[in-house]
Amino acid sequence: MMNSFFLSLLVGLLFSKDYVKPTEIDGKKKWKGEGTTPNLESIVIGRCYEYIRIVNPSVGEKNCTKIWEAFKKAFMNKDPCNILPSDYELFINLSLHTIPPNKSLFWENNHLLVTSYSDRTRRYMPLCDTLIGSFGDFLNWCGQANDTGFNYDSCPTTEECENNAVETFWKIASITYAKQSSGAIYVMLNGSAIGGAYPVKGFFADYEVPNFQKDRISQIEIWVMDDIGGPDLDSCGRGSVQILEERLKTMGYDITCIDNYKSVLLLKCLDYLNHPDCSIVSSAPSTQKGLVSSDRDGSWSRLIYTIFVVFVFEICFNLQN
Amino acid sequence: MPFQTRSSRTRQSTVLLVGIMVLILTIVAVMAAVLLANGTKETSMQLLQWKGRGTTKNLQEVILGRCYNYITTVNPELRDKDCQKIWETMQKAFIYKNPCNITTEDYQPLLDLASHTIPCNKSLFWSKTNDLVHRYTKTNHNFLTLEDTLLGYIADGVSWCGNPFSPGINYESCPKWSECESNPSSVYWKMASKMFAEGACGVVQVMLNGSIDAGAFRSNSIFGSVEIFNLDPDKVSTVQIWLMQNIGGPPRPVQLLQCASDPDHADCTLCPNSVQ
Repeated sequence: MMNSFFLSLLVGLLFSKDYVKPTEIDGKKKWKGEGTTPNLESIVIGRCYEYIRIVNPSVGEKNCTKIWEAFKKAFMNKDPCNILPSDYELFINLSLHTIPPNKSLFWENNHLLVTSYSDRTRRYMPLCDTLIGSFGDFLNWCGQANDTGFNYDSCPTTEECENNAVETFWKIASITYAKQSSGAIYVMLNGSAIGGAYPVKGFFADYEVPNFQKDRISQIEIWVMDDIGGPDLDSCGRGSVQILEERLKTMGYDITCIDNYKSVLLLKCLDYLNHPDCSIVSSAPSTQKGLVSSDRDGSWSRLIYTIFVVFVFEICFNLQN
Repeated sequence: MPFQTRSSRTRQSTVLLVGIMVLILTIVAVMAAVLLANGTKETSMQLLQWKGRGTTKNLQEVILGRCYNYITTVNPELRDKDCQKIWETMQKAFIYKNPCNITTEDYQPLLDLASHTIPCNKSLFWSKTNDLVHRYTKTNHNFLTLEDTLLGYIADGVSWCGNPFSPGINYESCPKWSECESNPSSVYWKMASKMFAEGACGVVQVMLNGSIDAGAFRSNSIFGSVEIFNLDPDKVSTVQIWLMQNIGGPPRPVQLLQCASDPDHADCTLCPNSVQ
């Protein structure tokens, strides 16, 4: 009798594991990464409509709910470590739209800078400013096997398994983006990045460069941007950038490379006004109004100017009251 | 012959009767057709016509998505805001109403739900520098404009107005400010601007456009007519004015942004000893 009791206990224990919530085992999260972004559906559908109605109405009519359903189908109710690019095929087909020539901007290690610089398709159209990209930018998601819901507790990191929902999404999105790019292509790299400005194993190297359409690309321009006050670890003609330049030249492309491309540098300098790397020389005499502070005279002129302005303002305030 | 007379009379009556019936039927048919035509004209006339662009399509999805995006990624401190309720109170403010009769009271419930505090020394007001000021705040997070707050974020660049009859929202057109001042958009921005100004504290900044003919400061702009008067002198210590010219003018931080779009302009050259 004791034997059968222990046997049934053993069997019970073995089966009980199946009833434990898949997201948590012994109170610990199943995966090491952040869970699915809360309110993902509302955010994504909102972004989709915002894109087709406001950001880029030229893409025409799209059914955002249908696209969302196709997106979910790619990874819902599946092993979150076994999502393949082909799973997203329907989603890609529904959300595809053309990218204007000379507007493609590829990048590595400067996501925020690229987002600021591209300015929502106004200057360039990087992947994050396409409809496909807007589905995933800054968001996180994963499903689970035998469950039709999202996992909001945790999601697998790339280290835990490479074929997770988010990683695979960006793989197929990058491949598609590269295939659609035409005209002059731009690449923004980070010259202060540890490990090199051009990561030889990365999305750009592995999924974008191999999918460039040679017959539709006129030239490739590389910008190597250093952090303001940061180390100049890589630059044109050196280190990993040279590897990229050689690779593209071998493929037969017309390459230009610019260190600290001025237009982007000026944007970076917004947060580093007083840094020596960011001084701007004003040549026009009309700017020397005396009330305006230059870097040298700095705080005193600014203080006087401010006091003057406040004084004028106070007068106006009092006059109005 | 009385029988023959009777039958011929009956035949005559029948013909007459049929003739009258046909006539009546024709009249009825014609009247019905006219009424139907009038009817459709009347339904289409129930949608008021205006000169401005209509309500943004899929307004609900856009507003909801933006609200969730804001509280999740832009300003996670507000993660407990109820976006669904925010959308519903926003919609209630204008749906099925005549878009020339909107009042600030209509938006009060929305204001109560969506307002939040702004840190001191961060408020940046603007007038006639929309494009430039928002490009600046997107890259320099030291300042916030109204459009960087929840109320401003969800409504920026979007248009909306109601219609007194079904479907309640007018997607074809909305009144411009010149047609009537109390339209849903104008009242919304006036109310939001007032709230933004009232909440400003410490050092306050304002970016004006010194290159327009009408003058940098206009007393009938929202800044000049609403925000200025709602600054609280007890909370605001200083007002800094940035007078922006087209490239060739003073304050540098924003000039940099202008230069990002026109780097080869003479005023945008970098010092020889800087990185090149």
